[in-house]
Amino acid sequence: MSFFLLFWDEIRGFIKSKVMITLWVGLPLLSIIMHFIQPETEGIPISIFTGLLVASIGGLLAAVMLSTTMVNELNARVYDLYLIRPVKRWHLIIAKYLAVFLCLTVATFLSLAVGLLIDHFTIGLPPDTVIKDTFESLALSLAAMSISCAAGILIGILVNSVALAAILSIYLGQQLSLVAVLPGIFFENISPLYFSLGIGVAVTIIIMIVEIIVFNKKQF
Amino acid sequence: MEAKLSMSKVTQEPIIEFKEVYKSYKDVAALRGVSFSIQKGEIFGYIGPNGAGKTTTLKILVGLIRDYSGELKINGEILTSHNLPNELIGYLPQDVGFQEWRTVDHALTTFGLLSGMKREELQQRIPEILELVGLSEARNRKIKHLSGGMQQKLKLAQALIHNPPILVLDEPMSGLDPTSRWQMRNIILKLAKEDITIIFSSHILGDVENIATTIGILHQGVVVKLGKPQDLKQELIGGEGVEIIGENLLEKVDEISILSSITSVESSPDNSSRIVVYFAPKSILEDALLELMSFFSTNKIVIRNFNYLKPSLEQVYLKYVNGGVIS
Repeated sequence: MSFFLLFWDEIRGFIKSKVMITLWVGLPLLSIIMHFIQPETEGIPISIFTGLLVASIGGLLAAVMLSTTMVNELNARVYDLYLIRPVKRWHLIIAKYLAVFLCLTVATFLSLAVGLLIDHFTIGLPPDTVIKDTFESLALSLAAMSISCAAGILIGILVNSVALAAILSIYLGQQLSLVAVLPGIFFENISPLYFSLGIGVAVTIIIMIVEIIVFNKKQF
Repeated sequence: MEAKLSMSKVTQEPIIEFKEVYKSYKDVAALRGVSFSIQKGEIFGYIGPNGAGKTTTLKILVGLIRDYSGELKINGEILTSHNLPNELIGYLPQDVGFQEWRTVDHALTTFGLLSGMKREELQQRIPEILELVGLSEARNRKIKHLSGGMQQKLKLAQALIHNPPILVLDEPMSGLDPTSRWQMRNIILKLAKEDITIIFSSHILGDVENIATTIGILHQGVVVKLGKPQDLKQELIGGEGVEIIGENLLEKVDEISILSSITSVESSPDNSSRIVVYFAPKSILEDALLELMSFFSTNKIVIRNFNYLKPSLEQVYLKYVNGGVIS
């Protein structure tokens, strides 16, 4: 009961604090701009390139947003009011992770959908190529963002300063998220879809186990 | 020692019982064997200087700090990390922030639901609580638009939302203006009448003196004194007293000292017209004053001024936390 309540509470918080609307408008807008700019992608299909870009920006945003929010809320002792109730500490962590990840997933899907629609009406990609590229781009994006989200929470728990959390998230969060994305680009024989998803889930789980242990031991 | 004395006097099982509780932050000892007990329905005022360990004690009580040694019983059951009595305790933390995008109503609904209440119950409970703390008109306002005093009342409201029998208040008067402090005092007294056990920490000794039925003085991580406010004050200065300004009082000090209701007389050779008389702790004030006035009348001593000296908790506090030095 408390987990679902915490999850919907986080979602509501994103809506009320305008974070969600910023992501849901900002990332698709970026996709539109990319298609109009037509950058040199060195052979990478434009839809995948867009996916990578969205993953990079979305993951970065997630890591910075989560880490700074955690630091702010821990410093403001927001969690005290939760932890004096029958709320499990790990529920707080998982609810926050899932809420941010869901928001970013929707934002990523929107940005890719918008990009593909523009492709369809401008350069007329065949439908099967479009669907395959879309899935691969989504997998890359989601895997990278999942790692970024988990890393953002871990950084938020470990540091006390908002500035430090933001800097660490930009460097560390983004580097970690590349773990899921890069092999799919450089090795032709592996499927980026399955590889990215597998690596993304595995690394995310490892980071989240660590942060739950740290959060459980944290003094309030 | 004081804790053991206090506990030996009680006849019923305490609702809260700390036994030799220790807590350290790295190399710094915050609590060094805290022991005290609180009976059901008591208002326990927990006072001490900054850094004495008050907040640490209260956080252990509400389960926010789990890493400590010693024994804490609530309702007779030893507290562990697996049986935190969340439903029994409401907690008003000292420094806590609300997520400011919430409205008052939404915050209370969320915390009520997290406390295990149903939405239907909350529809009735929230207006009651807001009425009690004086926030009814702010029900639909965002928290970021509330004043500091209103946010303090909201903190109290969230502590009360699930109707707990034990209320733990960490500096409830902190940051409040005199009117809000008066309102908070009245709310606490009203809650105590409903048989809610209250433990609160405060730096404002006047409030503690007016509200608390029992006081614990914490100093350097140890409870150095426990007792009822009146008992503590009487023990300190030997009961109530009067300052008397009159003629040639110094000559009569010895005779006044042996009156049955008098415990001691303070005088100064430099001022023969002023003495301070302390009554015996068990004496009735009216009888003691009558005996004193009768003595002055019999001895034809002219009295020009007569000031009742109310013993203050501040004196008791300073004695125990200031190395016995009373300013």
